[in-house]
Amino acid sequence: MRLPCVLARGTPPSRAPQTPVVYSPFPFGSAGSELDTISRMPACVQTENLTKCYGSVVAVSGLNLSVRDGEVFGLLGPNGAGKSTTLCALCGLIRPTSGSISLFGKDLRRNFLEVSARMGVMVERPAFYNHLSAKRNLDLLARLSRREITVDRALDRVGLLPVAGKRVGAMSHGMRQRLGIAQALLTEPDLLILDEPTSGLDVESTQEILRLLRFLADEAKVTIIVSSHMLHEVETLCDRVAIMNQGRLLACADTDVLLSFDTSQAEVLVDAPEAAAKRLAAQPWVESVTIQPGRIHVKLQGASVHQLTAFLVSAGYRISGVIPRRRTLQDYFIKVLNS
Amino acid sequence: MIPRILNAYLVECLKAMRAKSTYLGPVLAVLLSMLAPLIHPITDDSGSAYAFIAFTTPMVLNLLGLLLVLTFCAGLVSSEMGSGTIRLVLVRPLLRHEFLLAKLLLGMTYAALLTLLVGVSTWTVAAIQGRLAGVVFGGEMLHTSSEMLKAYVLGALLGLAPQFAAAAFAVMVSTLARSTGAAVGAAVGVWIVCDTLKYPLRIAPFLFSTYMESPWQVFTTYCEGLESSWTPSLYYCLASSLGAIVVFTAVAVVSFNRRNIQA
Repeated sequence: MRLPCVLARGTPPSRAPQTPVVYSPFPFGSAGSELDTISRMPACVQTENLTKCYGSVVAVSGLNLSVRDGEVFGLLGPNGAGKSTTLCALCGLIRPTSGSISLFGKDLRRNFLEVSARMGVMVERPAFYNHLSAKRNLDLLARLSRREITVDRALDRVGLLPVAGKRVGAMSHGMRQRLGIAQALLTEPDLLILDEPTSGLDVESTQEILRLLRFLADEAKVTIIVSSHMLHEVETLCDRVAIMNQGRLLACADTDVLLSFDTSQAEVLVDAPEAAAKRLAAQPWVESVTIQPGRIHVKLQGASVHQLTAFLVSAGYRISGVIPRRRTLQDYFIKVLNS
Repeated sequence: MIPRILNAYLVECLKAMRAKSTYLGPVLAVLLSMLAPLIHPITDDSGSAYAFIAFTTPMVLNLLGLLLVLTFCAGLVSSEMGSGTIRLVLVRPLLRHEFLLAKLLLGMTYAALLTLLVGVSTWTVAAIQGRLAGVVFGGEMLHTSSEMLKAYVLGALLGLAPQFAAAAFAVMVSTLARSTGAAVGAAVGVWIVCDTLKYPLRIAPFLFSTYMESPWQVFTTYCEGLESSWTPSLYYCLASSLGAIVVFTAVAVVSFNRRNIQA
């Protein structure tokens, strides 16, 4: 399949609508029960009780992760959460202390040659042979791969074809980052493992890379595992996210479910905010009311937004708008970490 | 497995060929060979040019050559580890021991290339400044030029064994270190310490570096116009070198396979 150059301008990346899988509903998906539910689905990547210790430091602890074929899976967590260790373990760079990893249904250690031929990896800061050009770097890496080699296409996809002959040592951080993605795409992989792929990229390049990754997932059915600190990027890109902290998987949920409307709160544009707030605060089904210029923010307790608007209308207030609040990944992230 | 190793070896050769630092050692070795007449002048005697070769080649290879092999090979894995480029390679369909063997082959190629260059430059200098028409004594041809060349080539080929052992040692050190500086320092340092203390510690018979002159014994004796045959020290040289290659490679493979590659 001919894939477009990343520099082709288009609409911002957006996830294809999918049937939500509610195995881990908002706000708190149970990481423990997740494995049981999704084990029935075809898993491209599966870890069972994956543990990695460095001496007495436990970097990853009993991680059970399952990534489905063709999905974009986001790994989130604060620094030191174990994301990079997990990604390094998934691509065979570190040996787990215990537990197992299977890719494409095959044990990673026993079938490394077979599975590594099907994956593209960019972990941590991409490093290259600085004295060689971008193209020469990819040429050398391509020789080590066992698949059809597409050096120029990989460079084209990340917009580096015009500077293919430039020495890597003379490239900017952003260009090196894009080259890192190009080397991961070199062999048309079925699985992409990317650690902070947009780190150091400007806004435009970030959008292009995200668009490319979304395209690869949607059109080429590439499974993508991506770790990032940029929550809004993950929100845009990923079908499912997992949150890690201190080496443990805290939660895992569908992004569609996470980003659905929060029916327990709403902003109401009302003609007399102070008076309306006072009336609402007295109601048992209202948890809290915050007054803002020209509007009130109402948190409900066991009531619906419909009930709220009906109450205000019956009380004689003029409502010029009701804005249901959309959940953000940041809300989820903070709530999970705080819990 | 062999096609993958050869493929990786080819990649390693291409990488090395494009690094300027690769050429520094060979240039130094050739320069030293060409300047050697200052230390060991070539006269007009029939055997003088051969004596120059017999002096220069082992001197350059066993001192500078060994040091260059240690330095070059110690940086093979550690430089990739330090820069992080190793992560690019080890996620490809290539097993770690295959990658390591490709590196070792590159190190051995480097050692062989040094030997070749030193040989060519030494013979060239000897041919220009002296006579290479065989060893003559009292008008009698004791060893023809062809015999001398054969003895030299054999000596050079056998002399590769300790050079290869040094390469295996340095590659092993390279897998244990995180930076090129540390690896080179450790490889050269350990070699110097072992070579200095091998007699007091009574480990000399087991070290390949003890027998580095042995491969040249036939050529050296021919230069003096005498007949020669191989002595047991040559077999010790080959056995200790082969043993060292096997042990160092095995240690390197085991340690490298267990190593976590993470920044």
